[in-house]
Amino acid sequence: MQPTPRLGYGLGLRPVYYEEILNGAPPVDWFEVISENYMIPGGRPLAMLERFRAAYPIVLHGVSMSLASTDPLDLDYLAALKALAARIEPAWVSDHLCWTGVHGLNLHDLLPIPYTREALDHVVDRIGRIQDFLGRQLVVENASTYVAFAEADMTEWEFVAEMTRRADCLLLVDVNNIFVSSFNHGLDAAAYIDALPADRIAQFHMAGHTDNRTHRIDTHDQPICADVWKLYERARRRFPDVPAMIERDANFPPFAELLAELQHMRDIDTVVAEARGAA
Amino acid sequence: MKLAELQSAFQAAVLAGDAKGAEILDAFAAPSRADRAEAFDVYVHGYRLRLAEYLEEDYPALRALIGETAFARLVSAYIAANPSRNRSARYYSCKMPEFLAAHPLRRANAWALGLARLERALADAFDAKDVAAKDLETLAAFAPEEWPLLVFEFHPSLSLIVVAADTTVVYAALVDEEKPTLPAPRAGEETIAVWRAEYEPLYRALEEDERLALNEALAGKSFGDICQLVAFQDETAPAAERLAQFLVNWFSEGLIVGVREAAE
Repeated sequence: MQPTPRLGYGLGLRPVYYEEILNGAPPVDWFEVISENYMIPGGRPLAMLERFRAAYPIVLHGVSMSLASTDPLDLDYLAALKALAARIEPAWVSDHLCWTGVHGLNLHDLLPIPYTREALDHVVDRIGRIQDFLGRQLVVENASTYVAFAEADMTEWEFVAEMTRRADCLLLVDVNNIFVSSFNHGLDAAAYIDALPADRIAQFHMAGHTDNRTHRIDTHDQPICADVWKLYERARRRFPDVPAMIERDANFPPFAELLAELQHMRDIDTVVAEARGAA
Repeated sequence: MKLAELQSAFQAAVLAGDAKGAEILDAFAAPSRADRAEAFDVYVHGYRLRLAEYLEEDYPALRALIGETAFARLVSAYIAANPSRNRSARYYSCKMPEFLAAHPLRRANAWALGLARLERALADAFDAKDVAAKDLETLAAFAPEEWPLLVFEFHPSLSLIVVAADTTVVYAALVDEEKPTLPAPRAGEETIAVWRAEYEPLYRALEEDERLALNEALAGKSFGDICQLVAFQDETAPAAERLAQFLVNWFSEGLIVGVREAAE
């Protein structure tokens, strides 16, 4: 059973597209926003978010929860996030399987964790406490990684699957991140998709990345490449009803290009659904 | 290595800034194509790149004033001295005016510090708390004999900054003109009011008597008390009329969010 509402096809809401969205009523079913950009006292960003919320479902997507950090939980941050969620009433709240800093610092990056029993126990405990504090199930995204730790007790997908089950959280499957991490570490991206627990998938992310030949970087500044679309098709075959969206954070194209990518996603889904119906 | 030690070592290596010599490389599995240092450098390089972007976004006029090379050096020095302690990128650049105050650029360029302070104040005003501004009609609720006792509450975005003379002229030239013409530096200071009306951050240099009146009003002094002070400072102008004009401006500019009668 699909664990989140079937919202359809979304985009990351970015100020550069505000006007076109408000004036054009584009074929976008929902929007995802970066939570931290709205955890502020007031002003235009919050006013605009409330305006969009009146017209669309909104998902809060954080980048600084640091849920795998060994620092104590930042209760001020969580309280601010909870207050924002009470104000916006998002369809769900998500963040990343990563840490962003220790000793009170924040590196503003999604840093990798070792896939060890110790890390798993730590993350499961933290997600449980975060969910209790927020009073809602957390949706956790797999991050792109550029290094992997030599010490590991399991694969990333085994870690993710067990984390999800034990912490009773949901998953945001970033298909591009699976592709990027698999390329960087020589892993089988298809095996990753195939190992994910179908009843826990809350959302898909799609995005473009930068190809540096020896490694790929999750930059969200390029169109989605053919390999990632192919992986998406595989994911869609396994998880038919999952809401999906495209992230674009730099090198912004005309809005029509993002809508065209979203349409491509719909077209793939139509083909996958027809094939399922014919089977 | 325990998770806490691993994270500590990883972070220290990112902050140290040299991927090639980092001891943490031994903790990594061999990447499929890149070498370990090249892969780790995505984090080391990315850290500085992101923080530099935050500073570039928040200080465009300062950057235009001092030029790319000097700004890049300033940014590097700031990043080295200020690891981020906030969950939001929004607050990373907050200490730039403080940092610049102790930096050689302060002496090298007459407007650098003032511009940093103005850009910081504008950014703070942009997302300050929302409170609805009052209009001039609010005063109609009070009888003329009550006016001397009135005290005013100001929008939470309002701040007054004291900077080098002509900072507002320089700022406007840098943000509005393709090839800005800047005035020659001169001695003296100007006080700038920075606030947000509706959703727009605004700024305005204050004349000396308005600066004095606004400072007193912000400190909670009543209309009558401020009249006396302004009259004392400038005996040639009718203080009540001048102050009344300030009040009209403050209301029309969205600065005032509350009016009440002070307890006698």
